[in-house]
Amino acid sequence: MGPVITLTCALPRAGVAAFGGPAYPDPNGMVLTATALAPRRALDRVGPLRRFVHRVDAVSLGDHTSLRDGLLTVGAAAAEGCFAGPALARVRISLVSPGESARIVKVLDAVEPRTKGRGGGGIFPGLLGRLAVQGRGPLHVLRGAAVVTAGHLPRAQEAVVDMSGPAAPLSPLAALHCVVVEFEPAPGAAWEAVGDTLRIGALRLAAHLAEAALDEVPTVVVELPPTSLQRDPGDELPRVVAITRLQCQGAFKDVFVYGASMAGGLAVCLDPNELEDGAVVSGQYGHPGLKNPTYLFQNHPVLRALRARDAVDLRLAGVVLAPEPVEQARKELVAAHCARLCAALGADAAIVTKEGAGNADADLALTMDGLEALGITAVGLFAEMAGADGSGPPLVVSPERATAVISTGNYDEPLRLPAVERALGGAELSLAGTAAGAALEVPTAVVYGSLSPLGWGRLRAAP
Amino acid sequence: MTLRAVHYLNQFFAGIGGEEAAGSAPARREGAVGPGRRLQAMLGDAVSIVATVHCGDDRAASDPATAREIAALAGHADLVIAGPAFTSGRYGIACARVAAAVVAAGGRAVACMHGENPGVAEAGAAPVVLSLETARGMEESLRRLAHAVGRIAAGEALSTEDHVLSRAVRGNRLADRCAAERAVDLLLARLHGDRAATEISMSDFGRVTPAAPVADPAHAVVALLTEGALVPHGNPDRLESARARRWLRYSLAGRDGLGAGEFESVHGGFSTVLANADPHRILPLDAARELEAEGRIGRLHDDYLVTAGNGTHVATAAGFGVEWAAELRRAGVQAAILTAT
Repeated sequence: MGPVITLTCALPRAGVAAFGGPAYPDPNGMVLTATALAPRRALDRVGPLRRFVHRVDAVSLGDHTSLRDGLLTVGAAAAEGCFAGPALARVRISLVSPGESARIVKVLDAVEPRTKGRGGGGIFPGLLGRLAVQGRGPLHVLRGAAVVTAGHLPRAQEAVVDMSGPAAPLSPLAALHCVVVEFEPAPGAAWEAVGDTLRIGALRLAAHLAEAALDEVPTVVVELPPTSLQRDPGDELPRVVAITRLQCQGAFKDVFVYGASMAGGLAVCLDPNELEDGAVVSGQYGHPGLKNPTYLFQNHPVLRALRARDAVDLRLAGVVLAPEPVEQARKELVAAHCARLCAALGADAAIVTKEGAGNADADLALTMDGLEALGITAVGLFAEMAGADGSGPPLVVSPERATAVISTGNYDEPLRLPAVERALGGAELSLAGTAAGAALEVPTAVVYGSLSPLGWGRLRAAP
Repeated sequence: MTLRAVHYLNQFFAGIGGEEAAGSAPARREGAVGPGRRLQAMLGDAVSIVATVHCGDDRAASDPATAREIAALAGHADLVIAGPAFTSGRYGIACARVAAAVVAAGGRAVACMHGENPGVAEAGAAPVVLSLETARGMEESLRRLAHAVGRIAAGEALSTEDHVLSRAVRGNRLADRCAAERAVDLLLARLHGDRAATEISMSDFGRVTPAAPVADPAHAVVALLTEGALVPHGNPDRLESARARRWLRYSLAGRDGLGAGEFESVHGGFSTVLANADPHRILPLDAARELEAEGRIGRLHDDYLVTAGNGTHVATAAGFGVEWAAELRRAGVQAAILTAT
């Protein structure tokens, strides 16, 4: 079967077709001609990202990595080789698929296999690929699979994925064929080095697996034009920005943008295509239910939802990334700066997301209030902390001016997980000291990605 | 048949005294007292308040075991009525715990307080009749309470129409669409003029009026408190690192400093490396002892109180606040420094 080609082209917009655009009377009597063309030409020169999507329907371990008719074979030696280095004594590669009676504990991160060409072609810039602006050209994606790292790191909190049963619909990983990487640190290795080796190794493995698709016919090809950060003359659709606040609390609780933490920085605006190419990579292992894995930065749910309505009832006007500072004055500064940047982008509205628990709620609330103060409609995604019985006030920190809030579920509500036949990631759960595969009762917050701050999940709390 | 009821009041409404009597022990008197007399008049013949049990607010709120003591004093009543406590936190918590203890033991009880009283979270399975905010609303509050008690006596069920607190709990479920798609829908609804659309109504935590400044710090007893989860090394009492349901008390008597390795933070919400290298970063005992030596504060309280403020349920945290206030008042403390992380 030939590939299905879906093209979402940048159509010529009003005012751009003719040179010069509309004429405006100048108060001093002169006639000025708007020259909106030059920036568009520059943007056209950037060009689109072309996403070649390959479906993965099954996985197996073998001698060599390959992709044939939806079967991804993971070459065990090559996969282990991605994690070579002095910080790790050994790694073990295992496969687990949706519907299995299996549990992954101590989940750290998940990465979708993607590459831009042989040797990565610049994917994951600043960590794996060279430090260069990405978001254009070809991108090969293995849809339906993920590289998942699991095991103990300092500051990481117990995070559980059940591949079947009542918790399966709550985690983005349970619907994926997971290539699970367990590890044993080398004696005396610094934990930071262990974390770095794992993170880079997972990116390397993701690029390696996707390379198997380079000679295969894709299932779908999608062309994503670069996003214009300015309003085209005559365009009356509301311009909507996605604001994504990133956790930046030091080692093991940090997120990397082009390889660097945003700690101490301000808000920046990126083309959504840059995230497709792995410009944002997670190194944040706290708050399992409230975590944004690399997989969801690659497949940003808010950007995806906005793209689905782009040019129909809104215009996607860019993605703003900003840190979540830990000092109050800096929280206020960065929140106000996010709002100012959106104003400069001509935004009519913004969807604001976070990573982390109550501390990050303050960043979310301040950002929403800052937007509303400038007349920009704000919607925020909050997880609720209404107590185990759901009777408490749902929000720890509420905005004072903004009131449009989406619920991603109650963090505290207990879940009963049945025993499973197979457990990966560790022998014990660090919560109760029970065996990793045992029947459990845990707060929803323990399930990896269950309260997805980026809006992946269908969970919500309601009376 | 007349229902035999016992009424619970705090020391103030029982006529024992004001704040100076807030440490008074649980006690029982026959018949209705204070607001209980007006309540009895409203109740008529169906219910008879045969006794009144009272206790000082500090005593009742600082120790959860006191509620069971109070419930035991009520004896074999058909019904225990507690309050109205209005917005008074210690009194509300006492009323809620007494009612909860009675119901848990198989009896019948009703508590009465304002909806924002932190006690409402502790009433367990007992119904809470919503009072007005202050004792200026005593008449209307007693009328609501009498109405609810009348329905209980008649064997009828209580509902929000009887001014009974609704326990509208929020439960998790799977929506048809993911949160990001719902966010776009909500955003478009807002842009099209629907100013009310939302999935969560904003919480109103109320405002706490700050206490007056300490008039004479040089003669004040000052306590150190923290939500930074600083506990003796090894965490002997197993304080939770997140979603704490407890707080703990440790002695500082005879101690001039907190050595690294002697104390540690078990807080799950931040890197504890710097805190553990010098525990004074969480609990400033070193600076407090200096102020004490210089005579700038009268005396440092012998105990510090600690919990882990990380993902803590708001109602639980509000309850801790009331318990800490009661405990410190009983210990004669005039000021407290609460370090937050």
